[in-house]
Amino acid sequence: MATLVLDNGAYTAKIGYSSDQVSVIPNCQFRSKTSRMKTFTANQLDEIKDPSALFYILPFQKGYLVNWDVQRKVWDHLFGKEMFKVDFAESSIVISEPYFNFTSIQESMNEILFEEYRFQSALRINAGSLSARGYFRSEPYQLCCLLVDSGFSFTHIAPYCRGSRMKDGIRRINVGGKLLTNHLKEIISYRQLHVMDETHVINQVKEDVCFVSQDFYKDMAVAQLKGHDNTVMRDYVLPDFSAIKKGFCKPADQVVLSGKYKTGEQILRLANERFAVPEMLFHPSDIGIQEMGIPEAIVDSVQSLSEDMQPHMYGNIILTGGNVLFPGFRERLEAELRSLVPAHIPVKVTLPNNPITYAWEGGKLLANDPDYEEMVVTRDDYEENGHFVCEEKFDI
Amino acid sequence: MVVEKKNSARVEAGQRRVLDDATRQRRLSRQLEALEKDNFQDDPLSSLPAPGPTARLPAFSETEEPEKKKRKTRGDHFKLRFRKNFTALLEEENLADKPEPNYLSALAPPSSLPPRHFCCVCGFPSNYTCTTCGGRYCCVKCLITHRETRCLKWTL
Ligand SMILES: [Zn+2]
Ligand SMILES: [Zn+2]
Repeated sequence: MATLVLDNGAYTAKIGYSSDQVSVIPNCQFRSKTSRMKTFTANQLDEIKDPSALFYILPFQKGYLVNWDVQRKVWDHLFGKEMFKVDFAESSIVISEPYFNFTSIQESMNEILFEEYRFQSALRINAGSLSARGYFRSEPYQLCCLLVDSGFSFTHIAPYCRGSRMKDGIRRINVGGKLLTNHLKEIISYRQLHVMDETHVINQVKEDVCFVSQDFYKDMAVAQLKGHDNTVMRDYVLPDFSAIKKGFCKPADQVVLSGKYKTGEQILRLANERFAVPEMLFHPSDIGIQEMGIPEAIVDSVQSLSEDMQPHMYGNIILTGGNVLFPGFRERLEAELRSLVPAHIPVKVTLPNNPITYAWEGGKLLANDPDYEEMVVTRDDYEENGHFVCEEKFDI
Repeated sequence: MVVEKKNSARVEAGQRRVLDDATRQRRLSRQLEALEKDNFQDDPLSSLPAPGPTARLPAFSETEEPEKKKRKTRGDHFKLRFRKNFTALLEEENLADKPEPNYLSALAPPSSLPPRHFCCVCGFPSNYTCTTCGGRYCCVKCLITHRETRCLKWTL
């Protein structure tokens, strides 16, 4: 019997058999202006030679699975003969869901897994609970951990103690990678070049040039300087998808300060955008979102827990999701927390080697646990007892 | 938009209007909603000639409010009448009657830090507020750009 582990994110699916490696695959469909009749699913993105003005069709809205037609097309593709060749009658699935997933979505999930695909058994669980499992496995002497999961749709702070989720301490900040990319698109479009249709391209720009500032107002001052003193400024060469397949920053020695390049490439000049965009994770109110930033929300979460637990949380903070990959994210968070938390309490923030697949790796551990069989719901169970048995057994 | 201007912008002694708080708030919510959009352009498929009898319209996850239609964004397309969107699902959950913690109660509360202000033109720290719309600016040059572009005619 094979177990498939699927961390089903709103932007990418992290998927692989528990005996195998993980693949990170777009969890959506695309349409391209160059082949308008065709809809591309998941990793068929690679077939699109010119992904400018790429059109996205996403199964999630605000982090919750709402568009099942799209989700099923992606899953059909992932489970099918081109990819994971799932033998449903002989397979179990570990699948992740967001915190506080809606009841109707949970029920649709049961129906699709057991009635449509007919998996032999399934285990539905929060992605964060998989990450926590991974952390406690690698740090067996720690009692607690606090996850910061910053993904496409939002950011969650989630405390765990001895393997259990502290539900009262979970905090959600409605800032995720999608909002950051859209904001970057918006300010670039207003200030220099219309790129509102270029989500795919600008997302890459974000990943290539953005960073988390360690001293925000100082970097603002540097970004305002003229000439070579402005060490923040970068000229980014946009891809044209013929000669230039992928965008890149002009090497320092080739930067023309006047901005007038003779090479004819399309250039974006980025200065304060580089760090003002990720700054929204730390200060959502900068763009009018009246919510705490990550450091403040962590303190708010930890203070809701019993006092004896609190130091253990601050000493075991673990970062997951794509946004924590911005250079400087870990250092900034640790420094801000250090200033917010009483001096006698140790603060430690850990960035795992791969924060995007960290939950999947935890899912793989779970699937290989000797007690795994006792944690799943089998299709027989479900056929006999319906949603009730899933509600009893799964901790969502 | 027409209604909005008539009701909420009063003409000052000079010639510039002043937007009231409710309008400023609506404008901000619209900006924030735009940051949730999946696409701003048209679906490439929808700009093709009408599909033949066997072609089915593909599922589409965005639901556009009529308000957005009035603005000049081009991201407008066919809707799905039958699919429940996020808002409908959230309502159906009836969380006001359910015990906490839940989706609503888990939202991070407002920050207790003082708000920071940035020029809406160039993004650098700003010290001044546009009297018309409440937008921030940092210098005369940016104020002029702001008035010529977005102040009373926000299009993006
Ligand atoms: Zn300015
Ligand atoms: Zn104004």
